[in-house]
Amino acid sequence: MSKLQEVMKAVETGKLKQIEELVQSAIDEGIEANEILNAMIETMGVIGDKFQRNEIFVPEMLVAGLTMKKGVEVLKPLLAGANVTSYGKFIIGTVQGDLHDIGKNLVALMVESAGFEVIDLGVDVPAQKFVEAIKANPDCKVVGVSALLTTTMEAMKVTVKAIIDAGLKSQVKILVGGAPITPEFAEEIGADAYTPDAGSAAQKAKELAS
Amino acid sequence: MIIIGEKINGSIPSVGKAIANRDADLIRNLAKIQAEANADYIDCCASVNVDELETIKWLIDLIQETTDVPICIDSPDPQVCADAMQFCKKAGIVNSVSLEGNKIDTIFPAIAGTGWGCVALLCDDSGIPKTSARRIEIFKEIMAKAEEFDIAPERLYIDPLVETLGTNGKSFLTFAETTKVIKELYPNVHITSGLSNISFGLPVRKMINMSFMVLAMQAGMDSAIVDPTNRDMMGIIYATDALLGNDDFCMEYIGAYRDNIFGPPPKD
Repeated sequence: MSKLQEVMKAVETGKLKQIEELVQSAIDEGIEANEILNAMIETMGVIGDKFQRNEIFVPEMLVAGLTMKKGVEVLKPLLAGANVTSYGKFIIGTVQGDLHDIGKNLVALMVESAGFEVIDLGVDVPAQKFVEAIKANPDCKVVGVSALLTTTMEAMKVTVKAIIDAGLKSQVKILVGGAPITPEFAEEIGADAYTPDAGSAAQKAKELAS
Repeated sequence: MIIIGEKINGSIPSVGKAIANRDADLIRNLAKIQAEANADYIDCCASVNVDELETIKWLIDLIQETTDVPICIDSPDPQVCADAMQFCKKAGIVNSVSLEGNKIDTIFPAIAGTGWGCVALLCDDSGIPKTSARRIEIFKEIMAKAEEFDIAPERLYIDPLVETLGTNGKSFLTFAETTKVIKELYPNVHITSGLSNISFGLPVRKMINMSFMVLAMQAGMDSAIVDPTNRDMMGIIYATDALLGNDDFCMEYIGAYRDNIFGPPPKD
């Protein structure tokens, strides 16, 4: 197995303790940092696909994401200034009145793993805060809005409307998700896309950003 | 959780018959299915009145032909335990000592200076003590003996013993209290249990056995002598370990599920 394959395998199987050493040895072998990063991004794509197919479980996706994050830390000094694939910024949050964060965090992790810089606004985020964050980050092309309760779907509607009313639709695409959300509801409230899980969210975010 | 697989025991009628008929395939299969079910040790008890050492050697050889999982030598005769160690390719566990008769004086010298572990029951010549206090006294005497032979606490599997719940409503509470005190005194000592005694004489015994498992693990039990092919029990063990914070990211739980240790049985 090549060093690059070892790194990919370690991300896929969530080898948190070994990843730093493996990434370092790949660097020592002369593999470009960018190439290592892209290999890890590719692996997270595979992880996302497996999750969509119910082949792996939530903690496995979580550990893979955390493993990649740790690997990226090793690469960071080398990546500064390098020509790195980046989709820009991705702003994410759970709508006002809703405190659920597991799904939102998984999406953030997968989107980050796909090559975005993630700005996580947290939970119980007022619509205005989304608007301000988008304005403050003109290089943000996609915003993710999460709602986990039927009772907070209304707050999602309000949030999407606030973004549209602020005239920000020319800058960002809006991606929504959460247990009660449907593609029909997403369309009805004026969102650009709905995805059912974190793996497909990362895939869709890339499409929306390019 | 350290699982000691209990299926190779001559006191189970089908196994007793297989031993009497020298049915090697049946024994090999019991070793195989327990190894596949993630047993950490395979208990080996001949339960015969004559030629026990020869019988136990026959069993050990069959287990070792089948799997690398180490053996837990189980005999009421301490000399048989000590003598059977030589048949084993790697260090296992001796089951068991207590303060009964000459057990400890026979077995501790035999395992001194080896990698072998040992189950120690907290009883003496007068049987199972009623109180936790008396069990702790026995525990302390056993630990003093262990120190004399330089046997480290992590090599010992203390069985605090359970009485039948149907005749003693405080049976589990005594077990739990004893376990907690022992873990405070010696955090590295293992606590184990044969556990099925708890449910004797009650209907749907598995309800009692599984509930006992969960509560006992919370009290500090980290080993059990059980049937690892019991999928419900194994699922409960992995789930409880995860709930108790012993399983980072539930990886053991997920891994055991993938290895088909519990969950819906595979479709043919």
